Amino acid sequence: MKSAQIPWLVVLRGCGRSCLHQASWNFERMQNLGLLYQLLPGLRRLYGGAPPAAVLQSYTGYFNTHPYLAPWIAGTALRLEERQLAGETLPVDAMAFRQMVMAPYAAIGDALFWGALRPLAAVVGLFLAMQGVIWAPLVMLTLFNLPHLLCRCAGWLLGYVQELRSAETLQRLHLPDVAIWLKEGTIILLGVLCGILAVRGCEHQALEVLWGLSLLPVVLLFAWLARRGVTSFALVIITTASLLGLALVVQ
Amino acid sequence: MGIAEYFTTGTLAMLLGLDRVAFLQCMVSRPLVAAPLTGWLLGVPLAGLEVGMLLELLWLGRLPVGTVIPPDDTQVAIGATALALTLERLLDLHGMPAVILCVLVAIPLGQVGQYADGRARRANGQLARKAEAAAAAGNSHQIEWLHLCGSGHFALASLCTCAVIVAIGTLILYPLAPLLIGVVRETGLGLQYSFTLIGAAVLLGTLNVSRGLYLFSLAFVATLMVLWLR
Repeated sequence: MKSAQIPWLVVLRGCGRSCLHQASWNFERMQNLGLLYQLLPGLRRLYGGAPPAAVLQSYTGYFNTHPYLAPWIAGTALRLEERQLAGETLPVDAMAFRQMVMAPYAAIGDALFWGALRPLAAVVGLFLAMQGVIWAPLVMLTLFNLPHLLCRCAGWLLGYVQELRSAETLQRLHLPDVAIWLKEGTIILLGVLCGILAVRGCEHQALEVLWGLSLLPVVLLFAWLARRGVTSFALVIITTASLLGLALVVQ
Repeated sequence: MGIAEYFTTGTLAMLLGLDRVAFLQCMVSRPLVAAPLTGWLLGVPLAGLEVGMLLELLWLGRLPVGTVIPPDDTQVAIGATALALTLERLLDLHGMPAVILCVLVAIPLGQVGQYADGRARRANGQLARKAEAAAAAGNSHQIEWLHLCGSGHFALASLCTCAVIVAIGTLILYPLAPLLIGVVRETGLGLQYSFTLIGAAVLLGTLNVSRGLYLFSLAFVATLMVLWLR
């Protein structure tokens, strides 16, 4: 295997371009242009100008993965393109590699970032905001973006340096397990948050705090309805209509 | 609201709207960030924070996965904050009841966001087809340009959604807010907390954790007991 020929500055340009990975997201090919956009500075360097039409066309097919894990694929794909051009025999080419890993990477990223880290950061932010912490939004952003930005930058660089071994590195991080722990933490925080709201509600109505327990079955009922497919919008309409109706009767 | 405030709202709608899909996705588009930022720039920081707190959890369980387009909570947050400023200026209504009214009007209007986002994605499909032709011609610079044009579609969709929420919301709230504010005030903390509780319940229902209900119930009861014994 030859050493990398592309200057680090070009690799970093690709990494910076990963911020615009979904700029042209579309239903037919999803993120195809986003991946090519990240790779173009490197491909231009490899080919000493515009890449040949055949190379460009190989990237216009369907591509969809999690946007934060796309840099892992982009970094590896660029290195594989470099080795292909150098005439090396590869166990898997750039096109096959991205087709192979995009779905598993999407599943890992969706579960970790959208399904676990985003709710956790939001619940922590909301929790702090309810305690009157004015910097709550910044805490939320920091909590979410430290792992996010680390994943983007490290992904591009590790993908380029380690190429096919970057998939093993990602596997060693046990991200699906981390996602489960984060989800459990989020649920505990949600319980604490709802408990505090129940107590505040009782104190506001000059009721005994234990009356707050009556809120638990209501929340669980809503959770069951949500699992059955009832939307937040419908629940808001039902609750608002009930509470406003009740207020009108009392008035 | 004056022209400068409409301009600020529109600019924020586009910039923060880009964060939802097209650019970086660093969560500045979340209601808890977008609404306080809008409120701070419009001179109603407290109203912004309140809007953000009401909306943050509501659609958090809707994941932007595959072809799913989640409701546009960013524009609902920005629009509701702008509406709160409008109510304050036009009718001298402020405080949490006014904010709740604005959120209640902005939520159904925000459904437009999903339609606008879908249109943007369909328009991007045409860009992808043009990019295929550019690739066949070996024109990599045109591919880059077409890719960047896609973010313009997303920005435009965000602007349209926010404009609909602010314009129609103002038309609805101007005659109805003075009539409804008393009833909303009468609900006390009930209506205010219902948004967070619904959001928490929906999130609990969508987070796929085997012992989630037990953990939630345990944390809820433990918190209540600790605060009761305090």
